[in-house]
Amino acid sequence: MTLIRKSLLISLSFFIAACGSISNERVSDASAVSASASGAYSDQGITSNNVLYFAYDKSDVNSEGRTKIRNLAKIINKEGLNVRIEGHCDERGTREYNLALGENRAKTVAELLVINGVSSSKISTVSYGEEKPAASGSNENSWSQNRRALIKTF
Amino acid sequence: MNVLKSLFLILLFISSQPSLSQLRIEITGGAEDPINIAVVPIDWKLELPQEEYLHEIIKTDLESFGEFKVLPPKGMLSFPSTEEEVFYRDWRLLNIDYLVVGHANKSEIEGELKISYFIFDIARERVIHKAIMSGSIKSIRRVAHKMSDKIYKKIQGIPGIFSTRLAYIDKPSADDKNFNLRISDIDGFNGVSLFSSPQPIMSPNWSPLGDKVAYVSFEEGTSRIFIQTISTGTRSGIKLEKGINSSPNWSPKGDKLAAVLSKEGNPDIFLYDLKREIWGQITEHFGIDTEPDWSPDGKSLLFTSNRSGSPQIYQVNVRSKRVKRLTFEGTYNARARYSPDGKSIVFVHRRDGVFHIATQKIRSGKVRILTDTFLDESPTISPNGNVVIYATKRKDEDILAGITIDGKTKFILPSLRGEVREPAWSPILD
Repeated sequence: MTLIRKSLLISLSFFIAACGSISNERVSDASAVSASASGAYSDQGITSNNVLYFAYDKSDVNSEGRTKIRNLAKIINKEGLNVRIEGHCDERGTREYNLALGENRAKTVAELLVINGVSSSKISTVSYGEEKPAASGSNENSWSQNRRALIKTF
Repeated sequence: MNVLKSLFLILLFISSQPSLSQLRIEITGGAEDPINIAVVPIDWKLELPQEEYLHEIIKTDLESFGEFKVLPPKGMLSFPSTEEEVFYRDWRLLNIDYLVVGHANKSEIEGELKISYFIFDIARERVIHKAIMSGSIKSIRRVAHKMSDKIYKKIQGIPGIFSTRLAYIDKPSADDKNFNLRISDIDGFNGVSLFSSPQPIMSPNWSPLGDKVAYVSFEEGTSRIFIQTISTGTRSGIKLEKGINSSPNWSPKGDKLAAVLSKEGNPDIFLYDLKREIWGQITEHFGIDTEPDWSPDGKSLLFTSNRSGSPQIYQVNVRSKRVKRLTFEGTYNARARYSPDGKSIVFVHRRDGVFHIATQKIRSGKVRILTDTFLDESPTISPNGNVVIYATKRKDEDILAGITIDGKTKFILPSLRGEVREPAWSPILD
């Protein structure tokens, strides 16, 4: 091919490109596969289920709660039980922040059990934040039922 | 030919009903001066029956956020499918700004189709885009969404988000005793459960390539972070530490997860190196530090902390670990997300006891409330920065709602099954 022909061809292809040649676009498939929970935790083997309630945004235990804990501590030590404390919140506020608040509640109860003589090695704490409410409904009646700590013995 | 075409179009008007999975309805409000666009029904040249109508999907897409007004076929004076068949006058008369025409043909590749389409600027009387879009026939909705993205980008100058997906959680209901982590197309179609569990699931977060989702699962009786590959369903828990393991948030490079661990006695922000499988601490404070979000440039994290007495938004430089407070209005600011340009944040702001979604330009410190719904939380921003979807309540039920960042268009995504929460917008997907 002569030099003139070559350069003509090159400039022609530039011209076509500049005029907006058709672009090619490709759409790929998107697939998804489902999975389900392994190691599913369940509440089996839990002997008792004591509940303490809290004021909004607070993790301190009232006197009624302290009495409950004192009595529970006696039983726990007598029967050599293990304890699992769950902290919960009402739905107001963000979910992850509530996970932290729930932990404060569970930890406060754990500390009180330890003060009352329960060995800390027998106690585990977990927070569920607002994820496992006892009552649905966006009103103070439901919310007050959800701001709680559950003391589960096994 | 014209009689056949009219008959064909009459059938189109009767057309396919949206499947049960359609989420988006109830658009309220919109731009004062929407762009007028016409999308002519694509000339279907395949022998297979047409099950989905591209022009309808594109119309729904473009009208989603009040920016466009799409002319329905019954308003059209002609039905071109190629460049040569377009008479600009027909569209000028109807006040149309942009026109999309095309035809669909069978591809040489088995099970695929090829759509040749053109976008016209009517005022300037010229083609602004022409392309051949190819894809599998069973993914035709995806092809339509990709066309919507292209049309949107050519006209608005920013990427379209019509082929993105939304991850969300739905809680147990009468029909399903499990929590489910689901993903669906942003228009609500093709919803699928990624993960199902009798125990709570929280905080879904997409990897930067959109191929994986990180989330918190309580299946082992405590909070643990899992990473799941979407296309295969394979999942694994990352190194479990004592206490809270939550709030996973993928780095822009995909090499690290920011997260929250309370193993040091109180919740702090940590980074998990995915390759080396080790945790490194970023914040260290006796209060609650939580809800990290990576900046688009990967240099800093937003997080929520109550170190000043109540939850506020802070920013920490990942390398120097220097912390700077960002919010100063009100007593509850939490769960912040960066806008894609890194210049503003969207977050939960409580005013007069009511939780709203608000936005703030990082520098200015001035809060602008976006939503007028109640108990708003979990804002997620579209990858083009234009739209926010968030969780809220309607008649005591958890639903998802959305609003454009200029506040002009609001919409609700009514739930499919049960109550839905914690939306997470995917990145732009290939």
